Amino acid sequence: MVEAVRGDGGDIIRLDAIVKRFGGAQALSGASLVVRRGTVHGLVGQNGAGKSTLIKLLAGLHEADEGRIEINGKVYDRLTPHLVEDLGIHFIHQDRLLVPTFTVGEALFLGREPRIAGTPFLDRALMRRRSAEILDRYFGLRLPHSALIADLSAAEKQIVQITRALLNNPNVLVFDEPTAALVRREADLLFQLIRRLRDDGVTIIYISHYLGEIAALCDTVTVLRNGRDVATLPLKETSAAEIGALMVNREIGDLYPKPQVVAGEALLAVDDLSLSNRYANVSFTLHKGEVLGLTGLLGSGAKETLRTLFGLETATAGSVAVKGETIFTASPAKATAKSLALVPEDRRRDGVALDLSVTENTTLASLDRFSKGVLDLGAERRATEELVKRLQVKTDGIDALVKTLSGGNQQKVAIAKWLSRQSEIYLLDEPTVGVDIAAKVEIYTLIGELAQRGAGVIVLSSDIEELLGVTDRILVFFRGQVTREFISSQTSPDQILSEVTGAYETLSNVG
Amino acid sequence: MLVDAPYYIPGSLAEPAPSNPQDPQASGPAYGQRVAALALRGGSLAVFIGVLVFFSVTAPFFLTIGNVGNVLGQSAIAGVLAIGLTIVVIGGGSNVVTGGIDLSLAANMGLSAAVYATLVQAGYGDPVAVIAALGTGLAIGAVNAAAITLAGIVPLLATLAVMNVVAGLELVLTNNTVVPASTELLLALSASGPFGIPVLAYVLLGFTLLVAAVVQFTPLGLRLYAVGEFPEAARAAGLPVKSFVAGSFLASGLCGGFAGILSVSFLSGSTTGAGDMLLPVVVTALLGSVFSRRLVPTITGTLLSTLFVGFLINGFQLLNISSTLVSGVQGLLILLVVSATTLLRRQENV
Amino acid sequence: MSARQLSVSIPTVARSIGRHALIAALAAVFVLFAWLAPAFLSGANLLSVLVNNFALLAIVAIAMTFAVSAGGIDLSVGTAIDFASFAFVSLVLAGQPIPIAALGGLVGGVVVGLFNAVLIAGIGISPFLATLGTLFVGRSVQQLLTNGGNPVYLPPTGVPDAFRFLGHGTIVGIPVPLVVAALVVAGAWLVLSRTRFGRVVLASGIQASVVRYSGIALRRYTAATYILVSGIAAIVGLILTSTVTVYIPSSGNAFLLNAIGATFIGTTLSPHGRPNIPGTVLGVLLLSIVANGLLLSGLNFYWQQVGTGLLIFSVLAIGFANRKAAART
Repeated sequence: MVEAVRGDGGDIIRLDAIVKRFGGAQALSGASLVVRRGTVHGLVGQNGAGKSTLIKLLAGLHEADEGRIEINGKVYDRLTPHLVEDLGIHFIHQDRLLVPTFTVGEALFLGREPRIAGTPFLDRALMRRRSAEILDRYFGLRLPHSALIADLSAAEKQIVQITRALLNNPNVLVFDEPTAALVRREADLLFQLIRRLRDDGVTIIYISHYLGEIAALCDTVTVLRNGRDVATLPLKETSAAEIGALMVNREIGDLYPKPQVVAGEALLAVDDLSLSNRYANVSFTLHKGEVLGLTGLLGSGAKETLRTLFGLETATAGSVAVKGETIFTASPAKATAKSLALVPEDRRRDGVALDLSVTENTTLASLDRFSKGVLDLGAERRATEELVKRLQVKTDGIDALVKTLSGGNQQKVAIAKWLSRQSEIYLLDEPTVGVDIAAKVEIYTLIGELAQRGAGVIVLSSDIEELLGVTDRILVFFRGQVTREFISSQTSPDQILSEVTGAYETLSNVG
Repeated sequence: MLVDAPYYIPGSLAEPAPSNPQDPQASGPAYGQRVAALALRGGSLAVFIGVLVFFSVTAPFFLTIGNVGNVLGQSAIAGVLAIGLTIVVIGGGSNVVTGGIDLSLAANMGLSAAVYATLVQAGYGDPVAVIAALGTGLAIGAVNAAAITLAGIVPLLATLAVMNVVAGLELVLTNNTVVPASTELLLALSASGPFGIPVLAYVLLGFTLLVAAVVQFTPLGLRLYAVGEFPEAARAAGLPVKSFVAGSFLASGLCGGFAGILSVSFLSGSTTGAGDMLLPVVVTALLGSVFSRRLVPTITGTLLSTLFVGFLINGFQLLNISSTLVSGVQGLLILLVVSATTLLRRQENV
Repeated sequence: MSARQLSVSIPTVARSIGRHALIAALAAVFVLFAWLAPAFLSGANLLSVLVNNFALLAIVAIAMTFAVSAGGIDLSVGTAIDFASFAFVSLVLAGQPIPIAALGGLVGGVVVGLFNAVLIAGIGISPFLATLGTLFVGRSVQQLLTNGGNPVYLPPTGVPDAFRFLGHGTIVGIPVPLVVAALVVAGAWLVLSRTRFGRVVLASGIQASVVRYSGIALRRYTAATYILVSGIAAIVGLILTSTVTVYIPSSGNAFLLNAIGATFIGTTLSPHGRPNIPGTVLGVLLLSIVANGLLLSGLNFYWQQVGTGLLIFSVLAIGFANRKAAART
C-alpha cells in the first residue's frame, strides 16, 4: 500500500514537447518527460533515440529549440548547469569526473572541503573519516586511507562519483547507465541505495539499456524512440518484453536495404585465435561478398578479436590467413598492407582527424597512390571528389575541415579513407553509433555495396536489429568464446539476445 | 557524445563480464604501477641521500652546518623561482606545451631586481623599492594571466613573448650594466643569521613553508590541483577554472618579484644574465615531482629538488670538479625520471 | 557571385584581417622604418638584414617548424648546431679536407637528433621534456669536451679558403648563407606540403591516433622528423662556424627562442593555425626587420628586444583571439 501513495507529491519535472536540432539532424522531435516527485523513473530507448540529448538538456548543457520546461511547478525559459544544481538536480554521468591523483576523501569533498575549525587549513582527518564512514554506510565499501582515485576499479570510481552527488542532499538524482561498470554485488548495493533514497523522498531518473534493471527498480518508465516519447507506463503493469517491443522500430525492412550477394572464395580465415584472458579459440572464415556480424557484451572478446585482426592487439596463439596466406598482424601498418581496414568505434579520436580537411582524411591511408616522389595534388582531389559523390558526403567542399561535418558524414569519410585504398576486408566497429537515421541507412547501403563489389565486411555491433538487418551470419561472443553462430535471415532478435547474455531464456521470461 | 553501452540486455546483471573489476588481472596493473611509482620515488630519494653521503665522505667539510647553510642560501633565488613555476605547473597541468609553464620567470626576476636597484640608486628607500619590485613581478604575472585566459594564447608562447619584452625592458632600464645597490634591507638579507647560517637560507625555508602551507594544506591548494589535472572535474565541482589559472600566474609573477629582491641582496645589485636561470629552474621544478608520493609537482618536492641541485654544485666545487657537470646530471636525471614515468604509464595502458 | 560570397559579414572581414595580421605587421614595420630611418631602405642594408639577421634564423626556424608540425617542439636545436660546429672545427683542426669535415659536422648534429628520436619515438617521452633533457646533457658534454667551456679557435692564418666559403663566399654574387637558406626553405616547403612524408607529419601533429589507425608506422615518422630537425640545424652550425671561425660551446641556444617565436607567428598565417613554411619565413623576416629597423632608427639598442617581444606578442594575441572566435562560430 505504500506504493500506492508514492508519487502523489505532484510532478517535479515536466518537459513538454521538446524539439532539439543539431545542424540538419533532429535529435528530439517533440519528446516529453513527466517525472512525479518521490518516484524512480526509468528512461529507455535505443542508441540515438534521444536519451542523452534529453538528459543533457535537463542538465542545462543543451538549449531546447522548442518546448516547455517546468520544474517544481515553475516554468524556465532555459536551464544552466548552475541553475539546475540550485534546483537540487544532480547527475551521475557515465564519464567519471574525478581527479586521478586525489585520495578518495579529496575527490569526495572537492569544492566543499571541511576546514580545521578556526584555521584556513583542510581537515584531512575529517575528510578521511567522513568518506570512510559514508562509503561504508552506503556501499559497504572499505578502501585504504591512502588509496588514490587512479588505484580504484571502475566500479569503485563509480561509487565515489555517486557518493559525491549524495553529499549535495539532492532532490533529484539522474543516473546515466550507472551499472555499466559494476558487477552484480555492487549493482545490488546500488539498487538498495536507490530504493532507500526514494524512500527518503529523493526523485530518481534512471537511464539504462538493461530492461531487467528497469523492471526491477522503477515505478514508471518512459520509452523514447526516434526522438519522441512513445509511451510512459507504470512498471507494475508492464513487462520487460513489452518495453523492448516499444523501443524497436517496426519498419525494419525500409531501414536495411540489403542486397543479396552470393559469397565467393574465402578472404579471411581465422583459426584458433587466442589472446590470454580476453578470448580463446576463435575460428571463422569470411568470404568475398559476405557480411559477417560479431556481437557480445563488453569484455566478451568480440571487440578484442576485431582489434587483433587490425594489429592493435597481438594474439597469443592461433593464426590469421588472408586469401590463404598466413599473416602476422602485429601492427596496423602490417594489417593495412594485407588489405585490412578498420573503421574504429571512437570515430572522433581514431577514425577521422577533425582538424584535417575531407581530402586529407580521405587519402591519409592511401598516400602512396598519389605519391610519385611528390604528391599529385590534382589526382588526390579528383579521387576525393569522386568518393564524396559516391558516398553522398554532405560537406561544404572537399577542403572543409572534417569537424564541420555531422557524425554520419564524418563516418562516411572514415570509410572513404579505406575505399581510397581499395581495401578488401572491412572491419567496422559500431559503425552507426552517434549517427542520425538518414546517414545510418546510407551506411547500411554502403555495406551492401561493398559486399556486392566483392569485399568482405565484418560488422561489430551491439545493436542487434542492425546486425540482423545488414549481415549474412552472426557470431555471438560470450566470456571470451564464440558460443554460437546464426544465419541472420533465420534468426529473431530474442534468440541473439539470450545468446549474448548467456541466459538461455527468452525476453518475456525476464522482469 | 556519451558512449552508449551495449543494447538493452535483460538479466545481464546476473552475469558479470569476464573483465570484472574484482578480477585480480584487472587490478594488477594499477597495483604494479603503484609499486613502480614507489620505487621511483624511493629511488630518487635514495639517489639524493646517496649523493649527500658520497660528498660527505669525500669532502669532509660538506656536511658541516656552515656549508649546508651556504647551500641553502645560495639556492634561495633559484628556489623561490622554482616554487613560482611549480604553482603554475600545478594549476596548468603537467603537459608543458599546452599546460602550465612560465618562461618569463627568470626575466621577471631580472627586471624586478633592476627596478629595485634603480630606485635605490635614485634615492628611494626600501619600502618604495620593495613595493615597486613586487609590483613589477605582479604586473608581469597579470600580463601573462590576461594573455592566457583572455586572449587564449597557450602558456608556452604567451610567456615566451612576455619574457622577450621583460628581458628587453631590463636592458633598457640598466643599459646592460650592473646597478649596484645597498640598503639596510639588502644588508640584512645578505648577512648571516643564527648559527652562522645566511639569512637567505632562512628566507628560503620560511617562504617554502608559507607557500607549502597554502598549496598543500588549504582548500585553495587542493582546488588548484584539481584545476590543473582535470579541468572538467574541477568545472563539474563548480570551480572557476580560469580564475585559478590566472591566479597561478599572478602568484608566479609575485615569486619573480620576490626573487628579484633576493638577487639584488645576494649580488649587491642588479646584474645582467638573469635569463640564464630559466631552463635550470624549469628542470628543477619538473624534477620536483619525483619527491612526492603521487608523483605530482609539490612545493616541498621542488624545495628538495632545488637543494639537490644546490648540493651537487657545492659538492663538485668542494671536490674541485668542474660544476659544469651539474647540468649534465640534471639533464640525465630528468630524462631518467621521465622515461621511467612514461614507461610506467605505458604499462598501465596495456 | 553566389549569394554566399556576397553576404560577407563583418566577423568574416575581421577574421581575414586577423589571419593576415602577419602580413599587415610586416608591411607596417617596413613602412615605419623606411620613414624613420632612410638608410633602412638602402640595398646594402636590406642585404645585410637578409645575410646577418635572416639567413641563419630562417634555417633554424624551418627545422623548428618540422618539430612543431609533428605536434612537438625541439628545444635542442641549439645543441645540434653546437655539436655540428664542434665536429666541424675539430675535423678541420685535425687536418681533414673541408668536405669531409663538413660531412662530419652534419653527422655531429644528427647525433643529437638520433638521441631525441630514441627518447621521443622509442620511449615515448613528451618532446618538450625529452629535448630539454638533451639540451642539458648536451651542454655538459660540450663542457667536458672543451675543458669547461673554452672556445675552440681556428688559427687566423692557414684556414683553407674552402672553409670560409660557407660563411663568406658568394654564388653568382649572392652570399652563400642566403643561398643555403633559400635552398633549405624551398626544400622544406616541398617536403612539408607536397610529399607523403610532410602530409603524415602534419597529420600526426594534428591527431596522432588517426595516423596510427590509418595503418601508418607513426613512430618511424616521428623519429625521422627529429633526425631531420637536427640535420637542418646542423647546417647552421657549419655556416656559423665558417663565419666566425670559432666554436663557442652552447652558443647555438641563442637561436632557440626566436625560432620558436617565428614558427608560431607563422601559424597565424594559416587559416587553420597550422605550422607552415611560408609563415615561418615571414615570421623570421618580421623578426629580422624589426631588429634591424630598431637599430637604424637610433633608438636605444636595448629597445630592440622590447619591440620584438611586443610585436610577437601582438601577432600571437591577434592570431589566437582570432582562432578562438573562429572556433566559436
